[in-house]
Amino acid sequence: MDATVAFFYDLIPALSNLPDWLSYTIIGAVLTVGAFLFIAVFALIGIWLERKISGHMQDRLGPMEVGGWHGWAQTIADTVKLLVKEDIIPEKADKFLFKFAPFIMFTASMAAFAALPWSARFIPANLNVGLLYILSVSSLVVIGILMGGWASNNKWSLYGAMRSAAQMISYEIPVALSLIVALLLTGSMDMQEIVRGQAGGIFNWNIFGYFPLLFIAFIIYFIASLAEVNRTPFDLPEAESELVAGFMTEYSGMRWAFFMLAEYANMFVVSAISTTVFLGGWQPIAPFLDFIPGPFWFLGKALFLVLIQMWLRWTLPRLRVDQLMYTTWKVLTPFSFALILLVSFIKVL
Amino acid sequence: MTQVEKETTLYLGPQHPGITGNMMIELKVTGDTVQRAKTHVGYLHRGFEKLMEERLWMQCFPIVCRICVPEPDPNEENLARAIEEIEGREVPERAQYIRVMVLELSRIASYFLWMGGQAGSMGLYTMPQWTVGDRDYILDLFEELTGGRVYHMYIWAGGVRRDLPDGFAGRVRRVLDYLEERLTDYDRLFFQNALFLKRSQGVGVIDKDKAMEWGVVGPPLRGCGIAHDVRKDEPYEVYDKLDFEIITHEGGDIYARAMVRRREIEQSISIIRQVLDKMPGGPVHNPGPNPLKWKLPAGEAYVRTESARGEFGYYVVSDGSLKPRRIHVRGPAYVHGVSLLEKMLVGANIADVSVIMNSLGTCPPEIER
Repeated sequence: MDATVAFFYDLIPALSNLPDWLSYTIIGAVLTVGAFLFIAVFALIGIWLERKISGHMQDRLGPMEVGGWHGWAQTIADTVKLLVKEDIIPEKADKFLFKFAPFIMFTASMAAFAALPWSARFIPANLNVGLLYILSVSSLVVIGILMGGWASNNKWSLYGAMRSAAQMISYEIPVALSLIVALLLTGSMDMQEIVRGQAGGIFNWNIFGYFPLLFIAFIIYFIASLAEVNRTPFDLPEAESELVAGFMTEYSGMRWAFFMLAEYANMFVVSAISTTVFLGGWQPIAPFLDFIPGPFWFLGKALFLVLIQMWLRWTLPRLRVDQLMYTTWKVLTPFSFALILLVSFIKVL
Repeated sequence: MTQVEKETTLYLGPQHPGITGNMMIELKVTGDTVQRAKTHVGYLHRGFEKLMEERLWMQCFPIVCRICVPEPDPNEENLARAIEEIEGREVPERAQYIRVMVLELSRIASYFLWMGGQAGSMGLYTMPQWTVGDRDYILDLFEELTGGRVYHMYIWAGGVRRDLPDGFAGRVRRVLDYLEERLTDYDRLFFQNALFLKRSQGVGVIDKDKAMEWGVVGPPLRGCGIAHDVRKDEPYEVYDKLDFEIITHEGGDIYARAMVRRREIEQSISIIRQVLDKMPGGPVHNPGPNPLKWKLPAGEAYVRTESARGEFGYYVVSDGSLKPRRIHVRGPAYVHGVSLLEKMLVGANIADVSVIMNSLGTCPPEIER
């Protein structure tokens, strides 16, 4: 937090004249609102982008009307529509949990934004266990899903929720293990330390460490993170042809929008983690490109990974539950264990 | 420790994105495994067979083509051939060639829809967009030829309704060339996709020994390695003058059925090209009496056509009056979508239900008529 406070004091010197409690509250509020705005804007752009990308992949145009240029205002119009929609809660649902679930999911994915390093000086909360923190809060998402699916009192929702719980808990293991491989290289859980360790151009990034060992770790992380955020080919919790819409079946209007918001925020969070841990965070591709500010690189790399996620969604069918479990327990987990052993050996030697 | 599994009832349909139309499957599941399945139809019954008993012969043609939405032409063909058999009316050779062309075009169009459905049931939504978009080129051809995009009412007793427009053959060839080129894209996106292979190989297997006994027809039967195709076994129109082989694939699983259909698209393209090459000149219609006073001699006929989903049979009885006495439709979807599906779903994963259903070519409008 100190670095952030210093950053804000630099930005607006008047803040440092206020009493500590007031300035901290102001900074905290600004950051929260900023994070929320970022997620909202990112989701708006992300959904629009996904529609355009899927449209062009599928030989169609996607949204073209609303707003003029390539339908840029389509998602804004949709948001307005969702805001004014009738609020439907199934009669037999557990009303409190049903209302509460979207907030848990959204809060969990928003909390992860606190520890993302945007540039050398700007990180909302500079924790010395930043990575651990992100991993743990993003696991809370599953509670929201389980709650929503169960409270809906719909069998399809419950199936989706249970699948989701099983899937996310299973895939957390390869996610954590593949990150440990990178941690062995960096020796720190501090997000900024991890990024600083990758200074000096693209070949110093962790992804090329002990080539190809960390590259494999990156691939494992990427696959497992797809499953963690329920993207194709691991979108079983929302599998349309099997479970209607999974845990979201009974949701509509703004509550549904919050689920979507959380989903897109999660997409960004997992991409941001792999950017930080494997792709050099805010470090430029080559040292002479230093003059371009850090957030540009950070955002650019993360968005690139988000684009890959969207690309995969429109080119792959989904796996079946048993194949999904096979992939994590018999392929990804043993491989990441082997990688940990190999990297530790090399490091000790 | 023994685990007691509770049986749950799931109702898949009639409103469910994974179902191929207006029907419902009642699934008894433990965990993710289907223990029993019961199909419930009756959401789309239009009583066509009874309706036709109260219609003039000519009025039956607009009804039969609505029996199966994605593929109306085999129905028209069946009814026309049955009437011609009862009447003993000759069909000009050019009309026969045109009929084969229309039938094969509708087969391709139907397979394109199926490809999209099969991929969509596995969660790959790019394929439906592509295939439905490309199918539109065939519908454009139909629109030019018959005036209708989906329901054509083009084949009728004594031939076809009108001759090909000027330059139509060239446009057909152009569409065929385009579709053939697109098939490589489909291969790369879907048929060679590792995840598709994982989802389809060894899933939804039809036992080869049981296939005939259960009345399986069409691509599911050929996917079991049994060479059965009405176009070869009992050639109608000019199929005996055309060069093609029955396509079979071993295995009997979803993959085998998919590959049979995939290769039959290419085969149909080659058949249409042969038809365009060999098509003779001459009239396209052998006119009958005034349709309002059109009486058929008393008699009956059973005709079969190979549709995209399998053998399609019509049993037509005439008592010598203005109206049919009985028209019975034997469609492949009833066998595949009701009795066969119930057998195949036992022991299947919930995720595979809609995939299996699509691979059998279940078509609820045809089940109920």
